[in-house]
Order: sequence, then structure tokens, then C-alpha cells
Amino acid sequence: MSETSSDGARRLAEGARDRVNFEEEALALADQVYRVARGVSRSKEEAEDLMQETYARAFRSWQSYTPGTNLRAWLLRILTNLNIDRGRRAQRTPDQQPLEEGDYFLYNRIEAATGETDEERVLERLSQDHVAEALSAVPHDFRDVVVLVDIGDFSYADAAQILDIPIGTVMSRLHRGRRILKQELADMTVDAQ
Amino acid sequence: MTGDELCDWCEEVLQPFLDRDLTDAERHEAQTHLENCKYCRKRYHFEEGLRRLVRQAAVEPMAPALKQRLSALRLEL
Repeated sequence: MSETSSDGARRLAEGARDRVNFEEEALALADQVYRVARGVSRSKEEAEDLMQETYARAFRSWQSYTPGTNLRAWLLRILTNLNIDRGRRAQRTPDQQPLEEGDYFLYNRIEAATGETDEERVLERLSQDHVAEALSAVPHDFRDVVVLVDIGDFSYADAAQILDIPIGTVMSRLHRGRRILKQELADMTVDAQ
Repeated sequence: MTGDELCDWCEEVLQPFLDRDLTDAERHEAQTHLENCKYCRKRYHFEEGLRRLVRQAAVEPMAPALKQRLSALRLEL
């Protein structure tokens, strides 16, 4: 009898310890998760709300996390799902718009507009503010993928798992998202010359 | 070739190359091309720089107050 209750007490203590470990690991990743939250949000306030919702949900459903798997990806899956639920997809995705230019398009356009032929000098024409502004102009579906891969440093496979979309869709959205980013940047940069 | 002529040889593999998503053989082929083609090499360097700028677009650190709010969301023991 006393053995049974001490077993139960031990299990409870183990459960509490696992939970505390989980919470600490999750909080230790908050800076990295925030970078993605900020990237997919329009404002700092929106990113902060999204972080709080994400962590509240993560702490409630910690038991559905499998220890030893990628916790950062697990947290970001919650975050991106919440982001979709919050109806931030109102923007129409410009899938029908032709984007024929190749990947060298931005470089070629700045080079042509400025006459710079050294790539470092061409690069200096881009401002950090313009890059941030161009990124926020990319429609959400595409931006989420660009942010996960380029800012979150996730592989195509991890991004596919986080967003629950096929890997081929990750690649096509990434491709398109980066093209849209460059299109925006080209317009801002060349117009500013 | 002087390596400065118009070339679109590795435009196709530019993104997967930078994403480290090529097979060893493909990467080797791209690297060999880049060593000999100034046109593509300049654009690869430019693209790497652009990636850095995109990464820095979201480096504004999390507010300490937010970190505290997240910590406060932990369940009661």
C-alpha cells in the first residue's frame, strides 16, 4: 500500500520534472522563435502577441511533444498554425502574376541603373531598411517559407513539416517568395538612385 | 572565355546551391563553374550578401519584458 503511493508520488515528481525541463528548453529557444515571429508579423506588437499565444499553447500541450525531437520546429509549427488561424492570410497571393525574371535579375537591374560593376558596390546600394520593407511586402504564404529558411535557417524538409505542406510546395513558394522580394527591392533601390 | 560574358549556366542552381540543397556532384560542378565564370561568381557573391541582409532584417532582439511575460505563462506546479 505504502509502496503504491510512493510509486505514484515518484511518477508525479517525474512528470513535474519533465514539464519543468520542457518549459526551460522552450524558453531557452524564445529568442530564435521570436526572430521567426517577427519575420512573419507586420509589427513588433503583433510578433509579441503571437509569441505569447504560442508559448501559452506550448505550455498547455507540452505532453504532445516527443522528447528528443526538434523542439524549435515543434514550437514554430504551433506559431505558424496560430498565425494562419488569426486570419493573417487576407492578402491575395499573386500566383497569377508573371514573374519571369531569373535569379540574377536584381543584380542585373542595379548594375544597369548605377553602372557599378563590382558586386560589393552593387550590394552597398541595398539598404537594410529596404530589405525589411521588401520582406514585409511579400505575401504571407511565401514570406513564411522565406523566413523559416533564410532567417530560421531551417532545411526545406523542416519547413515542410512546420508548415504542414509538401516539400515541393516549400521549394516553389521559396522560389516565388524570393523573386517577389527581389522585385520589390529592385523597385525601391533603382527608384532611390 | 574571359569569364565575363553573359552566362546563365548556374542561375538555375543558384538558390539550391546557397541553400546547400545540391548533391555532392552537383555542388562540385557548380563550384567548378564558379571558379571559371566571373559573371556568375559576382552574382553569387551578391546573392550571399543579400541573404545576409535578409537574415539581419529580423535581428531586432526580443524585448526583455516579453521574455518575462513568456516565463509567467508557465503552468503552476
